Amino acid sequence: MNSSPASLVFAAHLAVLSSISFGGFPTVLPDVHNFVVASGWVTDREFANFFAVSQVVPGPNMILMMSLIGLKVGGIAGAIASALATFGPPCAMYYVSYRLWDRFRDMPWQRIVRRALAPLTIGLVIAGGYVMARTGDVGWPSVAITAAAVALMLRTRLSPLWILMAGGASGALGLL
Amino acid sequence: MSQTVEIRSPGARVRLGAVFLGFLKVSLLGFGGGLVWARRIVVERHQWMNEQEFAETLTLCQLMPGPNIVGIAVCVGSKLRGAIGAITAVGGFILFPWTVGLSFGGLVLQHAELGIVRGILGGLSAAAAGLLIATGIRLLMPHRKRWIALVFAACAFAGMAFTKLPLLVVLFGLAPLSIAATALESARAR
Repeated sequence: MNSSPASLVFAAHLAVLSSISFGGFPTVLPDVHNFVVASGWVTDREFANFFAVSQVVPGPNMILMMSLIGLKVGGIAGAIASALATFGPPCAMYYVSYRLWDRFRDMPWQRIVRRALAPLTIGLVIAGGYVMARTGDVGWPSVAITAAAVALMLRTRLSPLWILMAGGASGALGLL
Repeated sequence: MSQTVEIRSPGARVRLGAVFLGFLKVSLLGFGGGLVWARRIVVERHQWMNEQEFAETLTLCQLMPGPNIVGIAVCVGSKLRGAIGAITAVGGFILFPWTVGLSFGGLVLQHAELGIVRGILGGLSAAAAGLLIATGIRLLMPHRKRWIALVFAACAFAGMAFTKLPLLVVLFGLAPLSIAATALESARAR
């Protein structure tokens, strides 16, 4: 199977998304989900699995998740291309803006743009969580785990790591 | 953490190896979110930036797309050694966890159909989705008295959650409206 065009198409799509991933990469999850599942590269369940695995490994987990998709789409070359497409364009933007920061740090529009983008990115983060909650083997047990995780995160000071482990443990016990 | 502060004469060039190692450490220590460790290592341990510089860099990174913590690596590396420093810092931050994560992930995913692995992955994914939702709700709390913010957050949510529209369309459809509304809001408040 010649998979390099698929890898390139996926990497190009990621490069566009990473350039507009204001508020972090979770905001682009619904778009990536639609794109790769509609292309037939990754099943709904696999997408959920990639998300799950990337959460329990230290380091930048969204880069890892995109690389796991890339690995499935086009092998190790696909994984590297996806990683580069995920962090390359933002890095270039960070670099340029850091060099120019002194010029626009005090401008009033900068404050307004930030204030205006914040609610949008927040809505997108919640949408990312909502779409992921509906991806994979969804039934009332998985919905209950998601709801419990939301409640624990908002109501307690438990480390997110414990909440993740509790989720994994309830899956291991066959609750799903 | 502050007992081992390195004394550095102001003009001395920081070695690329030190930059690489510094961000390697941030990546290894920062389970989930490395921001706390980035500050400790950059500000307290190596004094590559002072407190205020670090805060301003973070503000800048939050304004830009992409993973904020990678942005910190770019800015710190760039301050210390220019473009090559930025690449070194990002490399130090990403290379090791990425390699380990990809191998580990690849291995686990080969057995994704095994009953117990399947259950664990399903539980993790459901919990992680909940964490994302909760993070979003927490971020929304400071804006809860601004109805404009609530309306736009709801539109962005609905746009991505209930339609199959690309992010490009949703974001660039809503951003100009949100900027206009926010500009009006702050003009009226003045």
